[in-house]
Amino acid sequence: MRPGRAAASAACLLGAYCLCQAASGADNQEDRVTVLEEKLERSLNLIEQLNIRVQELESQLSNAKTAPPAARAEAAATVPAPASAAQTQTRLENVEQQLTQLADTNAARGGGGIGVPLHGFADVGIGNHTANQPGLKGANLGGLDIFLNPQLGEHTRSLFELVFEVSSQGQVLPDLERAQIGYQFSDAATIWVGRFHTPFGYYNTAFHHGQEIATSLRRPRFILFEDQGGVMPAHTVGAWLTGADHLPEGKLTYDVFFGNGQGISAGLVDPRSSGVANGGSTYGGNVGYVFGDMLHGLLSGLKVGVSAFRAHITDDRQIAGVTRVDNAGVYFAYDTDRFEHIGEYYRFKDRDLHGAGFGQRSSAGFLQLAWRLPFATPYVRYERAAFSQNDNYFSLQVDGMSYYRAAMGLRFDLDLRSALKFEFARTKNTDRVISSWTDAMLDYAIRF
Amino acid sequence: MQRIYKTWMFSLLFAGMSSRAAADDLYFACHTGVPLTAADIRDVFLGEKQFVNNIRLVPVDNVAVQATFLERVLKMNAVKYATTWVKKSFRDGINAPAALANDAAVLEFIIRTPGGCGYLGAKPGNDVSVIGKY
Repeated sequence: MRPGRAAASAACLLGAYCLCQAASGADNQEDRVTVLEEKLERSLNLIEQLNIRVQELESQLSNAKTAPPAARAEAAATVPAPASAAQTQTRLENVEQQLTQLADTNAARGGGGIGVPLHGFADVGIGNHTANQPGLKGANLGGLDIFLNPQLGEHTRSLFELVFEVSSQGQVLPDLERAQIGYQFSDAATIWVGRFHTPFGYYNTAFHHGQEIATSLRRPRFILFEDQGGVMPAHTVGAWLTGADHLPEGKLTYDVFFGNGQGISAGLVDPRSSGVANGGSTYGGNVGYVFGDMLHGLLSGLKVGVSAFRAHITDDRQIAGVTRVDNAGVYFAYDTDRFEHIGEYYRFKDRDLHGAGFGQRSSAGFLQLAWRLPFATPYVRYERAAFSQNDNYFSLQVDGMSYYRAAMGLRFDLDLRSALKFEFARTKNTDRVISSWTDAMLDYAIRF
Repeated sequence: MQRIYKTWMFSLLFAGMSSRAAADDLYFACHTGVPLTAADIRDVFLGEKQFVNNIRLVPVDNVAVQATFLERVLKMNAVKYATTWVKKSFRDGINAPAALANDAAVLEFIIRTPGGCGYLGAKPGNDVSVIGKY
């Protein structure tokens, strides 16, 4: 290579190196410029405020000059002496420091805002039947769900969910659906005490009363909440130990709980939130496995598990009975950017402890498949429940009859916090009073 | 002449690639002494890992480079990230990471907060622990 050409090449490479350095240094410069711009913006705002204040003072001064001497003396007494620039600067610095400390404190709590974060959900619907009361139709209010989870410290946690629901008679009824206070020992163990969602299967703890969070327009019928006619004990009042252990290729989750034995009152399951006068207990557990990135991520997002519980259920008949409900279930959930598939299946073997000693067998399950497309999330769901009508636990419940339901729906996410859902469904009650109907419903759900 | 032209073109291409790489680098850093590994970052930002050696982790989002972080590290979009946190929050009673405006705010937070963790678009100094680079 000739010397001139070599020099030219070297100059080119040197130029390239300088460009690299300039580019990488530009990031730091850019950050500094951003910070300086923010400071300038604050300074301009301050100047603007000071200008306004000066104008106010000048105006007051001119008024005082034209006012009679007595009024002038009074005005002089009320107008504070103007602070010096140094004093103003000191005060501003103090305020800025306090704001920084406040922001840091809140960020450290994970709240990201001032005070306790208040969240809520609400939804309204319209259809030829309402979502959970097939005897009603037209427009209806789904409920207003107020949710609080104040961060109380490094280990203490709390969670409250207050729901205002409208009954079939049109009364607005407040209901403290969840009230939990817990202590988190580590990632592997948190103990909650209070009223919580009974950790059976997947759906009951993954979704709560705010309908916006769920893909579908309504919950599967047999795991509706108790006051909506659900036959499962969706809430337990007691203690709940939950946690997860990270394994090399996934995560093992577990739940263990015990609490007040539920009752059946006026045809609905009652979690006995105020305690039990006489009655047994409920206890159970749930073990799940969340797959990691094994098999090139093919199973990532999949959770499978088993759950079981035993509950001693009292009822409100004249001669009160006690039914021992034994439930075991399996479930899976496949939740990814593109899919949300959920399936659950439960078997019951219930025994009337005051009557014949034979166990009554029942079963229930559902499969829901949803596809997250860019414009909407279509879903289909099939539910089937075969409940023994010789089992007091089901026969005493208003909605304890066997049924099947096939549904298809569409969810449109209008923005990050609101969704419009449509669902068409065919339901048939297959015992007690055989009947069938078709639903066409719309629901507008929000969260805030 | 043609050779000089080629050298210039190569140099400019090299410069462009280098400056792009520098602009796109993402650094994950924590308060000094937080013993995390790069494999933990996803769990930290999805609320699955909240403690390490009895230190409560306090992750913060960096709005300026959040989209890059979500795409490159968590491998999810902003909607999925928000939805995941909503579900997590309402099941487990914990809140999503606070969102800070830019590198300067995140860095200042990490330095001040024991257990503080965040991601930055520029390489931080020695006053924080760099856990990983993406």
